[in-house]
Amino acid sequence: MNFQKKHCVAMLLAGGQGSRLMVLTENTAKPAVPFGGKYRIIDFPLSNCVNSGIDTVGILTQYQPLELNEYIGNGQPWHLNRSHGGVQVLPPYAKSNKSEWYKGTANAIYQNIPFIERYDPDNVLILSGDHIYKMDYAAMLKEHIKNDADCTIAVRTVPIEEASRFGIMNTNPDGSIYEFEEKPKVPKSTNASMGIYIFKWSILKQYLIADEEDPNSDNDFGKNVIPAILNAGHRLFAYEFQGYWKDVGTINSLWEANMELLGEEPEFNIYGEPGKRIYARNYAMPSTFMSKKAKTDNCFIAEGCEIYGNVTHSIISTGCTVAEGAVVEDSVIMPNVVIESGAIVRHAIVGEDCHICANAVVGGAFAEGVAKEISVIGKNKTIEVNRCIKPGEIY
Amino acid sequence: MTTMGIIFANIYDGSLGDLTNKRTMASLPYAGRYRQVDFSLSNMTNSGIRHIGIITKNNYQSLMNHIGSGQEWDLELMEGGLEYLTPFSTGKNSHYRGKLEALHTAMNFLEYSKEEYVILADSGVLCAMDFRPVIEAHIASGADVTVVVKEGISNGEKQLDLAVREDAEGKAVELLCDYCAGEEYIAGMGIFVTGREYLMEQVKKAIGRTCYRLERDWLVPEFRGGNLKVNTYHFEGVALYNESTLEFFNNSMALLDPEIRKGLFGNPDLTVYTKVRDEVPSYYGEDAKIDDCIVADGCKLEGEAKRCILFRGVQLGKDAEINDCIIMQDTVIGEGAELSYVILDKDVTVPAGTKFRGTKNHPYVVKRGETL
Repeated sequence: MNFQKKHCVAMLLAGGQGSRLMVLTENTAKPAVPFGGKYRIIDFPLSNCVNSGIDTVGILTQYQPLELNEYIGNGQPWHLNRSHGGVQVLPPYAKSNKSEWYKGTANAIYQNIPFIERYDPDNVLILSGDHIYKMDYAAMLKEHIKNDADCTIAVRTVPIEEASRFGIMNTNPDGSIYEFEEKPKVPKSTNASMGIYIFKWSILKQYLIADEEDPNSDNDFGKNVIPAILNAGHRLFAYEFQGYWKDVGTINSLWEANMELLGEEPEFNIYGEPGKRIYARNYAMPSTFMSKKAKTDNCFIAEGCEIYGNVTHSIISTGCTVAEGAVVEDSVIMPNVVIESGAIVRHAIVGEDCHICANAVVGGAFAEGVAKEISVIGKNKTIEVNRCIKPGEIY
Repeated sequence: MTTMGIIFANIYDGSLGDLTNKRTMASLPYAGRYRQVDFSLSNMTNSGIRHIGIITKNNYQSLMNHIGSGQEWDLELMEGGLEYLTPFSTGKNSHYRGKLEALHTAMNFLEYSKEEYVILADSGVLCAMDFRPVIEAHIASGADVTVVVKEGISNGEKQLDLAVREDAEGKAVELLCDYCAGEEYIAGMGIFVTGREYLMEQVKKAIGRTCYRLERDWLVPEFRGGNLKVNTYHFEGVALYNESTLEFFNNSMALLDPEIRKGLFGNPDLTVYTKVRDEVPSYYGEDAKIDDCIVADGCKLEGEAKRCILFRGVQLGKDAEINDCIIMQDTVIGEGAELSYVILDKDVTVPAGTKFRGTKNHPYVVKRGETL
């Protein structure tokens, strides 16, 4: 069957385990981890796609895919339920000659060459499912085409002292990349790769096949494929991105990114006009009830909550209950959590469906300037009456 | 047992004044994020009814915009699903005067349907009800029509579309319409179950006699004449009659009672669905003081609110103080404004420093899009 040609197809890498998120990804793929009261991490790249006019997205899943698959469904919440293209979940599958898991980011795309070929695209956008940001991929694609680039890599400026933690792109004045250094000890520039790439499909396909044939390759974009394309003398360009971007691969960064939604002038402005919003699968929940016994100060509270306690500088997700006399401070409370009266939650991330019983204490307060250790409670846990989860404890 | 549903979108439009000036009764916003029709529609789909017609008369654009293809109610189906029965669907009786005439315009829809029973519902009474036991009771009773009734509504002051008096055995012995019935009567809820073919036959006959109102011109006289057997089904749950502006105001404030919230939203098998709007969670600023309020998503709250219903996307400026108000979608209240007993429709602007009061018995309504 012939498909209508697509100018650009997006491939979203969503198969990683996300082990640095500890108990939060025990039974959940990282892209399905809740964020910001009503979202999941994957909502950001998916919404960016649809807001950028990209209507064909392949989602590569591997680790704990059930929740993620259910969440994505037919893609309707992101307006990606299309009769041609739309969103498709792509798990590894058995083939007649060889069956294997996705060995690396490049191998995951390699195994899905047939999927991409169905749309005969000019360009392929590679995204990852663990970043919080709003980006117009269409603007990047425009630059990519203007430069007649074979590969365009989104970069952002990082402080020079942090540059050795990233893949650094060293560029000529015209933006073309002459050197790529993975975590350089002595960085020459501060253009850090964001893990967002646009390739000419003809070039990428050729190098994916070559990479697969190399038994010594790790089958990774950053380590193998991009250096190979660069060394062969192709046209690589950096695309500078200015806005907010956060890799939420660790407990600390996930907590921080949530907190950066708060304030009168939030660091990450999640609000948007129609057509620039972040979409999420919405569950049918009534409006939130805010009792006169409740006290709120600088917080985000989603729908379906019943709040009787004190909530300060925190994110309360859909369907939570905070009982009278309970205290929530500097915390991220994921969906459908019950916090009973007298319980105290501070500097914590509490996973979905948890029950914090009366007078239990989770986490603790920290003096100014002291490194804050985040306590984490995994999904569906019960913290019994009077129980104490220490600061920094992972439960 | 197969049942189809019919929802009347426009009944009582006139009694809600400015609130239904540019929308149907069915699309009146309620409880921060819903429209009234969400309740009837969700009750039907939660009861396994998958073929539903919505009869509209005028101002139905907002209704269609809200329900769309019915996707939120899982009504995007190959067989059955949702149909809008707009005034032009038959070319005659384009402006019906009552539910009988409305049904007459929907005759085609009834005719090509296959279901054995029909459940009819208005959009003015809000409840979370499982219709399955109602339909079962109707079949078991052998009656021609089952009327769903609610005790404790009639008080001698509220005019009821349908009032029923029962004997000691619970058999309906008297039916009255448009009557301020006393406590010895029980109130109809605007929900009826009957046979599809029987209904068609009755509607044709009644229209032939130039009748147009379901209760006044058909149900009550036919019952009185002994031609029609009525069964009553007593609904025990929360039922809110939003048939006037004051009732709408009081029933909105009733949501502050946890028992009322539980009665409408507490049963996971009777979830109330509504149109999704991709809003962010509500932000409560450092100086916000929100006491006993219902708050939907997307609000930016910096001021003080007591006993208010805040719909999606409301902005409450610093030092603003609002008490006993209903603030609908995307309305902006400027800094230092003081309001009490006011209903602000969608997209209203309240300039900074504005002071305005309605009264408990006459909450003041500001029309959609206006500046106070």
